[in-house]
Amino acid sequence: MALSAARLSVDTYPPNAAVIQVAGDVTAACEQDLMAAHEEASDTGAKVIVLDFTGMDYMNSGGIGMLVTLLVRGQRRQQRIAAVGLTTHYRQIFELTRLDEAIGLFDTTAAAVATR
Amino acid sequence: MTRTVESREDGKVVTDPPVVLTRTPGVATEPAPRRGARRRAAKEARAARKAARRAELNPTDSRATTIEVRIDPGDPLLTFLQDAPGPLEIKTLPPTSPAVARLREQGAQVVVPLITSGELVGVLALGPRLSERTYTRNDRRLLDSLTRYAAPALRLGQVMRQQENEVRDRERIEQELHVAQLVQQQFLPAELPELGGWHVAAFYRPARTVGGDFYDVIQLADGRVMVVTGDVTDKGIPAALVMASTTALLRSAAEVTSSPSEVLRRVNELLIPQIPMNMFVTCQVLVIELDTGRTLFANAGHNLPYISRAGQVVQLAARGMPLGLMPGSRYDDVETVIEPDDIVLLYSDGITEQHDRAGEMFGFGRTGEVVAGARSGDELVDRAIESLSAFSVGVEQEDDITLVTLHRGRSSGYHDTVSFAVPSIAGGERDVMDRVAAIVEGALPARRLEDLKTAVSETAMNAIEHGNRGDQNLDVEVVVRRTAESITVDVADFGRGRRSEADIPDIDLKLAGLQAPRGWGLFLVRELTDRVEEITDGDRHIVRLVMHTTEHEGNES
Repeated sequence: MALSAARLSVDTYPPNAAVIQVAGDVTAACEQDLMAAHEEASDTGAKVIVLDFTGMDYMNSGGIGMLVTLLVRGQRRQQRIAAVGLTTHYRQIFELTRLDEAIGLFDTTAAAVATR
Repeated sequence: MTRTVESREDGKVVTDPPVVLTRTPGVATEPAPRRGARRRAAKEARAARKAARRAELNPTDSRATTIEVRIDPGDPLLTFLQDAPGPLEIKTLPPTSPAVARLREQGAQVVVPLITSGELVGVLALGPRLSERTYTRNDRRLLDSLTRYAAPALRLGQVMRQQENEVRDRERIEQELHVAQLVQQQFLPAELPELGGWHVAAFYRPARTVGGDFYDVIQLADGRVMVVTGDVTDKGIPAALVMASTTALLRSAAEVTSSPSEVLRRVNELLIPQIPMNMFVTCQVLVIELDTGRTLFANAGHNLPYISRAGQVVQLAARGMPLGLMPGSRYDDVETVIEPDDIVLLYSDGITEQHDRAGEMFGFGRTGEVVAGARSGDELVDRAIESLSAFSVGVEQEDDITLVTLHRGRSSGYHDTVSFAVPSIAGGERDVMDRVAAIVEGALPARRLEDLKTAVSETAMNAIEHGNRGDQNLDVEVVVRRTAESITVDVADFGRGRRSEADIPDIDLKLAGLQAPRGWGLFLVRELTDRVEEITDGDRHIVRLVMHTTEHEGNES
């Protein structure tokens, strides 16, 4: 039974951004980990949070719901949330759900941070 | 007091609301049309005040009574008054008239016909004068000229009220028809089922808001499929009512027998006691074995199906009495094989019997020509409708039109079927997804495979978490079927399915906190697959996901 959890890590991206690396399976099961990672990123004072999905294997609707929760928290802190490293399939899912209207999709972290 | 009775041009006498002419001052009050209701109310109030004042001045008014007489349309009085010259003494009226007798009973002495444009529109009846004197010649002259003015005014009021009633009736009928249309749609398949390697297309257009044509596709317990088309004589509401009960009878007969002739025999017997005398139903039933194309066909007086086969057009033939005509009617099952690439057209006479401007019928010849050139069922339906529209331009659609096509794919039937089961353990959907992906490998382009994987995973997750409520003793059963045209994945659990459709997820509502952050699963499944069907099979609830491996032309309707 494959029940691999997501692996999350936070890197700062000076001057005002942070990158959360999201690898493995993104499901509702990793909600606490993702929220903790978001706290950690916010504590650096980041105004731009970049979610890097390069290492992601799988995301389900629970994972999408979790991203919505993350977006609401980000809005409260006046943060901009962006995503990089999505495959064509998950880009399509972001478009179908219109998540791409709230989370900017970029090819690189540099582009995600530079865009205003 | 007096009372007039209105006679409408259709000979019906209406008495409500009454037209009352007060006697002593000779003032007529006529109920105003509805839109003048407020004015009328004011007028009535004024009249009431006036009457009250009059009553104070002249207490004898309290002796006034209302003469209330209903004149039947066949009463000889009506014919008599039609040619009468003005005020008439009661004793000069036809003694055989029941209305005259009633007028006498109520003390009427003088009757004045209200005639305008040669038409009797009402009657003014007067009792004895309060002064107890007889009516003088002057009184009569006054009454005569009064009625001369009152009659056209009364007629105008009648016409206006009649028109208002007609508008109200029309609105009510339109509203009822709209509801009837919605109800009727429930009797036609909302969407056509996915049949392994077969493609079904349908077109339905009633001549009026509702129609008497019908079609149905019923999956039988033994895996075969029953396709039914039919046509109730007549159109509009009466036909729609019979259509509704016929489709219900056909469905219940299909549960008892899978023989087309037996289905028709049973429905005929059940229909006879309930169908109106002058109505009947033509109907045909096909039962198809999808893998082999082996087909049983029985016919109750319906148009014979066409088959487009290798550039030729052939017709299936079977005879039988229409349903609802004769008790004891027998039908025969005709056996045939629908070959790979065949396209079968089932149709109602709404297409073959449509006339053009010159009065010529569309006919079987033109219908056959449309069948000959078709390459797919959808294309056949489109071409038939285009051809018919061009033919009958400027002419109203005369009858309901139904077209159903069955296209057997080049390699129909399921190539292979793989099934497996997983226990209902959280996260098990990931396993289901990977196994399905391995089974269908190579059948779908990479992008479509990813779509199917996500849809399978979401469906399996629902089955584990909701259908089986995470009970590890209950399995989620998965059946994967591959055909040349499609892949279907059945995911079965022991739940009851989603009772009601969850809210359509909306990112703006979710971000505004007006919807829960979750709830994307069903939405994704629908968006990522070509079709989702829900099937109940005993205590199991099955969600069937369908992905076409080839693109269908045209739309399924």
